[in-house]
Amino acid sequence: MTTANNLPDGNGPLAGVKVLDLSWIVAGPTVGRALADFGATVIRVESPIRVDTARVVGPFHGDLPGVENSGLYGNVNAGKWGLTLSLNVPEAQDIFRRLVRWADIVSESFTAGILARWNLDYPHLRELKPDLIMLSSTLLGQTGPYNQVSGFGSQGAGMSGVQYLTGWPDRSPAGPFGPYTDYPAPRFALTALLAALDHRNRTGEGVFIDQAQAEGTLQLLAPALIDYLNGGPALDARGNDDPQMCPHGVYRCRPPMGRAESWVAIAVADNDQWRALAEVIGANPELPLAHRREIQKEIDAAISAWTSTRFVSEVEEALQRVGVSAHRLSTTEDATNDPQLAHRDHFRRLPHSLHGETVIEGPRYILSEAPVEPARPAPQYGEHNVQILKGVLGLSDAAIEDLAASGALS
Amino acid sequence: MLSPYRVVDLTDERGVLAGQMLADLGADVIQVEPPGGSSGRGVAPFFADRPEESVYWAAYTRGKRGVTCELDHPRGRELLFRLLEDADFLIESSDVGRMAALGLDYGSLHERFPQLIYTSISAFGQTGPKAHYVGSDLAIWASGTPLLMTGDDDRPPIRVSQPQSWGHASGDAAGGSMLALHARHQTGRGQHVDVSAQVSAAQATLGQVLAYQLGASEPERFAGGVKQRGIGFRVSAEAANGHIVLNMAPGPAVGHFANHAVQWLVDIGAADPSLLEENFRTYADRVASGDADPEIFPQIQRIMTEEVVKRSKEEMLEISIKYDLLLVPVLTIVDLAESKQLEARQFWREIEDDDGRRVTYPGPPLKIFLDGEPRSGDTRPPPKLGQHNDEVYGELGLSATELSSLRSDGVI
Repeated sequence: MTTANNLPDGNGPLAGVKVLDLSWIVAGPTVGRALADFGATVIRVESPIRVDTARVVGPFHGDLPGVENSGLYGNVNAGKWGLTLSLNVPEAQDIFRRLVRWADIVSESFTAGILARWNLDYPHLRELKPDLIMLSSTLLGQTGPYNQVSGFGSQGAGMSGVQYLTGWPDRSPAGPFGPYTDYPAPRFALTALLAALDHRNRTGEGVFIDQAQAEGTLQLLAPALIDYLNGGPALDARGNDDPQMCPHGVYRCRPPMGRAESWVAIAVADNDQWRALAEVIGANPELPLAHRREIQKEIDAAISAWTSTRFVSEVEEALQRVGVSAHRLSTTEDATNDPQLAHRDHFRRLPHSLHGETVIEGPRYILSEAPVEPARPAPQYGEHNVQILKGVLGLSDAAIEDLAASGALS
Repeated sequence: MLSPYRVVDLTDERGVLAGQMLADLGADVIQVEPPGGSSGRGVAPFFADRPEESVYWAAYTRGKRGVTCELDHPRGRELLFRLLEDADFLIESSDVGRMAALGLDYGSLHERFPQLIYTSISAFGQTGPKAHYVGSDLAIWASGTPLLMTGDDDRPPIRVSQPQSWGHASGDAAGGSMLALHARHQTGRGQHVDVSAQVSAAQATLGQVLAYQLGASEPERFAGGVKQRGIGFRVSAEAANGHIVLNMAPGPAVGHFANHAVQWLVDIGAADPSLLEENFRTYADRVASGDADPEIFPQIQRIMTEEVVKRSKEEMLEISIKYDLLLVPVLTIVDLAESKQLEARQFWREIEDDDGRRVTYPGPPLKIFLDGEPRSGDTRPPPKLGQHNDEVYGELGLSATELSSLRSDGVI
């Protein structure tokens, strides 16, 4: 199952599956990354003019901003092949159409309507390739009165309710870290694409998937939404309060040398866990949940008094030993040294031609018989242009020169 | 799309979304609970008109069939084996070690059911130094690093008020299971999918979980925005009736949105038309070289804040669409319920249960078209405890006598 001379198949369950990934920033590229991890051949098509925001957002190698320095871009594009195409140039559109014939899956995240302007939307591509599988992923979906809303940065958090639901009752919303809709969306999209691939292989039918990233996040807020829609109260932000757990919060620990602060998360789910915690910190072990909730402030103060004189490692270990859910609030340095993440081989180091070495995350799950070894770091701008144009499309050197002269590649 | 496949869903509240994702794609998902009901039926909130009924459990069992089976009883385990003979997937989220204690872990089942895809969801993973840690939404969010990045800088970090950790892990479980299905097409064999919610949570950091190893500075929490190297940038602003999120910054990737904002401010007479000459895509470089006035951008930010607070967030959204700004309202649960966008996309689904009660749910997460035709996305109501015992076990060929014997033994 050789795809072409210069673009070898990957290894794994998706070996031989060909993906054209036109998506950008995080939600779409994360899907392509997972497909590449498990063996698909993924060509990431990038605009040479409009910079992918992921390239200008950190974390950067050596804290130095630069379009080839972004760890975010590297993390969501590892294992892909890189091609630059200016899709507003007719010659580039032609190349794109030829790549669609090659591909099993096209993934894109343009604002709704943009691809239609170039006659490259699903109805047109389906004419080229009836059994195509295509994912169109935008913040609010392809249809509806607000389908044009530009969605990146923190727009997704605002439009999905998560911005509002992250904060303290007496303050303006704090919001989650980053564009929250980018986190659940790839899970729904990946699962559906793999189902679509299975469906196509069995039936020969093509599949189109219209993803509103916000609607994915709403699945994770479903209990609050259903509650309100069926006569219940509307959930507001409540800090770390939990109606069924007490104590439940983040407590200050003794900071280690060189750190300004250190915190532990503690969640007590039932009376047994409370008894265990109470014995460790020297509180009354016989308090039912309702009573604990009444005197929550006192309990929080007692826990803080106990944690604040201790290092978080000691707190975490002492509480987990007696069956209480506790974990340090890991910094990214802590995550690097976390023995559990190390056990799962979560951080992967890859050789990199500019940086010597780069680091990415491993896959989000371990399959017992399909180990993942990311084949290469994320592509640099246009890194594989020639390899793709020759290897996949069979273009001659002269044709590639003509293409470059048309402005299709730069 | 997944109609040829059956999922035996043993999850509790920690993994219950995973099976639903497969059900929404067409799989036959059978939620298996102990005869006394899943612990998930005790998770808040509860229906306003039925205070004993968990909204949480209903939310994530919609679309599934439901049976009971006591796995602590030997006859219950035999019954599970009958179910597994026709199953493609098993998904479980029990405490690490419990399935092994019952003889139902992957290693024990793989030989008997070599094609079975066995997916485990846990806080930290099935093996390793923290495998037996007690997990919780908050501890998982802490361990994956997003918790420390979230909240007001003068208060302790905070989570999302509707717990999120297990939802992310369940999403990964669904994706991992589908990858294992494609592997099975290659090899004919099932395998074990081991999902760690800690790893899933690390996704919610925008790649910042890598910061230390890349030599970048640690991210810091900052309410309504981000903080980099000690300097906070707010993206949240007050409107007349709530808040909006506004990304307005100079730079090659987003500077044109700032140009659009200036156009709006000039059009409403709030800014001087001479400001239209400034191009914020190149502004930062020209400030650095001394060719642009560093005071201009802060001035525009001030005017913008003053104009936004005079208007409702709904009005600001219309302006944002008209002028192409990176500005959206901060929607509340009430706003979402009333959203014109979600209404136009027929996102909400009213589903009637067998008692004739109508309950409104979020619909499936994606709109899917097969050969150009939309899939209906219709879905069955969440099952009551043991609702499909007769139906499902009947399909396996169990007689009425056998079923009543299982009932009297407390197995179903």
